Amino acid sequence: MKRILATYIKEWHLIRRDLGGLALLFLMPILLIVIMTLVQDGPFKDYKDHMFEALFVDEDGGRVANSMKEGLLETKQFKLIETINNEVLTLSKAQSQIRSGNYKLAIIIPKGVSAEVVNNANLVANEIARKMGMGASLPHREGRDSIQIHLMFDPVTKPDFRMAIMNAVDKFNTKIQSDIVLDRVSNIAKSETADTSSVDIAKLLHSVGIIESMPGNKKQLLSKMNSVQHNVPAWAIFGMFFMVIVICDNLISERTGGSWTRLKLIPGSFAHILMGKVFFYIVLGIAQFYVMILIGMYLMPLLKLPALVVGNNPFALFAMIFSISACASTFGILVGTLFSTTHQALPVGAISVVILSAVGGVWVPIDVLPDSLKTISIISPMRYALAGVNNILLRDGGWMSIFQPLLILLSGSMLTMFLAWMIEQRRSK
Amino acid sequence: MIQVKNLFKQFKNAEHPSVNDLSFSFEAGKIVGLLGPNGAGKTTTISILCGLIKDYSGEVSVLGLPIQSNAESLKMKLGIVPQQIALYPGLSCIENLKYFGSLYNIPASTLHEKIRSLLQQFGLHEHANKLIKDFSGGMKRRANIIASLLNNPGLLILDEPTAGVDVHSRNMILGFLKSYNEAGNSIIYTSHILEEAESLCDEVLIIDNGKKVVQGHPAKLVAEYQTENLEGLFLKLTGYKLRDTL
Repeated sequence: MKRILATYIKEWHLIRRDLGGLALLFLMPILLIVIMTLVQDGPFKDYKDHMFEALFVDEDGGRVANSMKEGLLETKQFKLIETINNEVLTLSKAQSQIRSGNYKLAIIIPKGVSAEVVNNANLVANEIARKMGMGASLPHREGRDSIQIHLMFDPVTKPDFRMAIMNAVDKFNTKIQSDIVLDRVSNIAKSETADTSSVDIAKLLHSVGIIESMPGNKKQLLSKMNSVQHNVPAWAIFGMFFMVIVICDNLISERTGGSWTRLKLIPGSFAHILMGKVFFYIVLGIAQFYVMILIGMYLMPLLKLPALVVGNNPFALFAMIFSISACASTFGILVGTLFSTTHQALPVGAISVVILSAVGGVWVPIDVLPDSLKTISIISPMRYALAGVNNILLRDGGWMSIFQPLLILLSGSMLTMFLAWMIEQRRSK
Repeated sequence: MIQVKNLFKQFKNAEHPSVNDLSFSFEAGKIVGLLGPNGAGKTTTISILCGLIKDYSGEVSVLGLPIQSNAESLKMKLGIVPQQIALYPGLSCIENLKYFGSLYNIPASTLHEKIRSLLQQFGLHEHANKLIKDFSGGMKRRANIIASLLNNPGLLILDEPTAGVDVHSRNMILGFLKSYNEAGNSIIYTSHILEEAESLCDEVLIIDNGKKVVQGHPAKLVAEYQTENLEGLFLKLTGYKLRDTL
């Protein structure tokens, strides 16, 4: 124990004077977390969290345009612009604004839309009345090719943005048309049956709705995946694995500098010295992760981002962080043992961490990776690290939810340590 | 004290063996110079003697104990001063000494006193809290020796302890070695400074190409081979050809 503790203290003295190493371990992940969270904040937001500025060209001036306008404004997601420089927008002016990139979207309600919708509603109501044996007939003319509401997009907009807007506008259009049809049918029914009771057909049709929920502990409102919730743990884990650089440098300097030789000349198990070293880096990794958690909880809100939600299982989270740190530390020991010089080890260590992080879901969630990368990701410890942390932070999971990632990471740690020991044994022959 | 019989060691991918059927023995209480040109096998022999290299053939016993079956107990009785400065440059001198001392499981108070005394003896007490990387070459060499004395070794093995040091440090180191030997301890050391070896050693062993060339008291060997000094003897026996090793 004394030898383990002595090695732990020695590592502490070395790292506290290594400002470059400390910056790499703490400053780099903080910068990555802040920058990547800000960069990815937009793409991570649901479209319903956005406010869209849309040009609104009303060539119709009727009921449809008005209802559409009211509906869109009620959602508080749309700011409708009908005039520019005190001039009412026209189709050509809207086209010009979109073409010049000033606006991303224009909604054009062509002339005659309201009349066409009312006429079609009358036709539908008459048809229903006829089939029900009622004699009522609302005024109408023959149907004609439908007039279309025109959505004009800036070519740079993304397909999912266009789809979201189309769905929103289509939803209002359908609602307006169905409201008019139901209104007509209701009026015919009332006049034919002399029924004066008030029945809100539209309301009845919406009696079965949709509610969104997520499983979890009622004590805490579970956070939905957002940029902070993804990036803080992801880049904290990346930072922990970047410890490989510091460990490699430390190990190779020891070996090339001769202190490794002196350590081997001292009686007693060399395993104690390795344990002291690994123990120190595990504690350092844990400290690193908790600093990043604090950044997520307290710095992110200052940057107008949501605060990190840490779940309800601090002990399970600690166990998970311990296993990640153990895996990162032993990976560093393996790389540092495998290579003879820092010129070989540092680039390999850094690149391997970047690759493992990319396929492990650090850069973007693993679900959006192509199938080939999803398959490759099983070799990345960061995949299990992130899965375990997300099980606690996002799914409010307990010990059982982290059992598998914990087991994989700890087994991986033991395997890499064993490999490092084998390599070192071979080298000393 | 040391007995080596038919020692053989060839490293993987090496063209020639580093040590080839080497046999020699030394008695306790002497200062022995292990001499030879570059690549002669000095460092390999020392590494085998102190248990760093385990994969070899032949019989080696140190302080009367076969090293292969007594490696751990022998480590406690040996002090090895490697050719390199085997200290952490990023730690202060005292942090280095405390660390290596604690690995020997020496009680803290005893260790503290031992370090204080050695720092004083080697003239480093005023620089104990300075980082090793800020030390001069001579100071580093002295600190390197101190770190090998913390366990009070009965046999001190030094690999070129005076290489590249200033005159004062060299004088101090050689003075210490003499007094350490006079206290009843044995010393084996390698050096390319033959004048130094001639004046310091009770016995020298010259090896070349991994084999023993000659062994004996330096003055007697010089007389026997009718050379001017140990350097003349060395050149006569090992030749004048340059020995560049990569």
